[in-house]
Amino acid sequence: MSIYEASIGFGLVSAAVIAIAAVGFTMQFGIANLINLAYGEVMISSAFVAYALNQAGVSVWIGVVMAAVFGAALSLVLNRLFYAPFQRRGTALIGMVIVALAAGLLVSNVLLAVVGPDSVSYTVADSVALRAGGLILTWVQLAVILVAVAAMTAIHALLTFTRLGKAMRATASNATLARNCGIPTARVIDLVWVITGALCGIAGTVAAINSASFRVSDGATYLIVILAAAVLGGAGQPYGAMLGALLIGEMTELSAAALSPQYKEVVAFAVLVAVMILRPQGLLSKIGALGQAG
Amino acid sequence: MNGPCSVARPLLTGLLCLALAGALVTGFVPSTANGAETVVVGVLSPFTGADAVLGAAHFAACFPAARQINAAGGVLGRQVACKQFDTRGEPADAVPAARQMVASTPNLFMTIGVSSDEASSVMPILDENHVPTFSQTGQSEFNQSKFTYFYRLVPADEYDAYAMVGIAVYLKHYKRIALVFGNDIGSQTFVGPAIRAIKKVGAQMVINQAIALNQSSYRTEVTKLLAAKPDVILTEALGPADAIYLSEVKQLNGGMIPVIGSSATIDPVWFKAVSAAIGVPDLLKYFLANDTPSTFNGPGYDAFRTNLIASASQYPAAPKYAKRGSTIHLYDGIVMTALAAAAAKSTDRTVFQPWIVKIGDGAPGATVVATYAQGLAALKKGLTIRYDGAGGPTHFDQWHNSNNGFVVVRYNEKGDEVQVGTLTNAQITTLSTP
Repeated sequence: MSIYEASIGFGLVSAAVIAIAAVGFTMQFGIANLINLAYGEVMISSAFVAYALNQAGVSVWIGVVMAAVFGAALSLVLNRLFYAPFQRRGTALIGMVIVALAAGLLVSNVLLAVVGPDSVSYTVADSVALRAGGLILTWVQLAVILVAVAAMTAIHALLTFTRLGKAMRATASNATLARNCGIPTARVIDLVWVITGALCGIAGTVAAINSASFRVSDGATYLIVILAAAVLGGAGQPYGAMLGALLIGEMTELSAAALSPQYKEVVAFAVLVAVMILRPQGLLSKIGALGQAG
Repeated sequence: MNGPCSVARPLLTGLLCLALAGALVTGFVPSTANGAETVVVGVLSPFTGADAVLGAAHFAACFPAARQINAAGGVLGRQVACKQFDTRGEPADAVPAARQMVASTPNLFMTIGVSSDEASSVMPILDENHVPTFSQTGQSEFNQSKFTYFYRLVPADEYDAYAMVGIAVYLKHYKRIALVFGNDIGSQTFVGPAIRAIKKVGAQMVINQAIALNQSSYRTEVTKLLAAKPDVILTEALGPADAIYLSEVKQLNGGMIPVIGSSATIDPVWFKAVSAAIGVPDLLKYFLANDTPSTFNGPGYDAFRTNLIASASQYPAAPKYAKRGSTIHLYDGIVMTALAAAAAKSTDRTVFQPWIVKIGDGAPGATVVATYAQGLAALKKGLTIRYDGAGGPTHFDQWHNSNNGFVVVRYNEKGDEVQVGTLTNAQITTLSTP
């Protein structure tokens, strides 16, 4: 068995987790015009909601659903209470970044006060490693990949085949024009927060399932990788985020196989920087679903 | 989506770099008591970041000591307060935190904590400002340091590393040894000495992994480790890293392989994380660690434990550190320093500092005391004293390092440590001699 084949399998699992999160993040940026630095904190908060249910004897997979509901609700609340009032007053993008940073600190510190700093783990049935060729994956990891595929398919269908998806794309392209054409952009943006918040909740929980142990401070760690995938794929481009997630996931694992593990993130981010130099707009900035409307 | 993207893309890229830099906030928390008549024990440790568990244990040391000292009338009538200063476990954050502590705390009495993450960067500041510091660093550079105000009641990490190799080779007779340590400064201190000791005793280091902390998975690293076919893993990767890594070892190997941890892995937070990830039975069966000897009984320990439990009203997490070595040693450091001030009849740091060693080591014929109140009573009678506290006797060398050797421990079902063996000084000397 080649270490590289195994790494490709592990990279797929990492990519699945990153993709769910990065698509939600980049949609928030593309449609709501906000770099939501509280995203990682909403993820980890949702993971702890699933943990509370899991500790009460509920299956972690039901916890994923409840985390999605919580993530959607919390994201909507954050938008209504923090972001929308500032955006209505015309706060510049950099100002909104600071607002989002403050919201993230608030969420993480409230969570820290409630659950404490310690690492915790879900109770998931022991899952033996399945081997196929050089790939080694467990049923749990396969389930995580399936969740990601289902989420990505749903997002594709939403953006491509539904009126809401078209309205989202129109709002992303030119909110004023969309409003003048009769699209209720405020309601569309609310729905964007609900949908992307649900993705955020799912992502937080599957990330926690995947990592065996998690804690409050992981929210900030998640955000770095999500930002990387979103930027690599092209800011605001859902399909770009998917591609970015795949590349980041695979590069980190393959570099860990080829080099010392301590350099795995260094290699991945070095490639990111190289791509940004050669193609500053990101890999798919012109062909994502949201981009087509523009 | 040309509008927002074209404006924000450079900003987004900049933020990515900012996030990678990682340092957004350096916080500090108000003290537990205020007023001009207090003296402050500054707890200069990581309270956030990957090594935040260290700060929590260090902070827990201050409350029982302050409680005991204040109950006996304080230090020359001045009450003791505890105050956090967060280093985030990063030198870049630790230096401003140390400067802020010194500048903003005119009644600073001493400092405790100062782990390997920040010791090198903050000790020059603390020494320059004459702040007696009981440090938990294991770095070898402090074995013979020039810092007058530096004190350490734990062995250097290199001896911790020798002890881990000693357990593997002398007690368990393993031949193929894997090193899996976090890539932080503190954990990497173990690697060089461990490699030297493994070579010296003729064992084989089959793989050496410096793992990045805060990763969500280490499956590729674990696959490489298993391919090297180790008999045992020596490890210290704090935060959730060991929990994640070892659970993936179990998953990909179809079962655990033996693990030997550093003394830092004897910790309730580490136990909770790892036992949840791999299961308590496997942790009990496959895990051993070294630790500094502690009997967890006697008048010094009893006073510590009683005051620690009573401190829960101020710091709810305090009671869980009743058997944490760093908490016990830092508590002893505070009591020892308070007795030094009482003996010197001054809270001026430059005046009482020379008394710390005199109180810790004592003079021949000195009265042995186990608590602050006992020490104070003896001093009032004009006696010389030697403090033998919660962690046992002190033997400072000329560089203010004190250690009492190592014991071999494992966990029980409750997460308490159980001694299962000892390493002799001769064995450690054999491993450490070049």
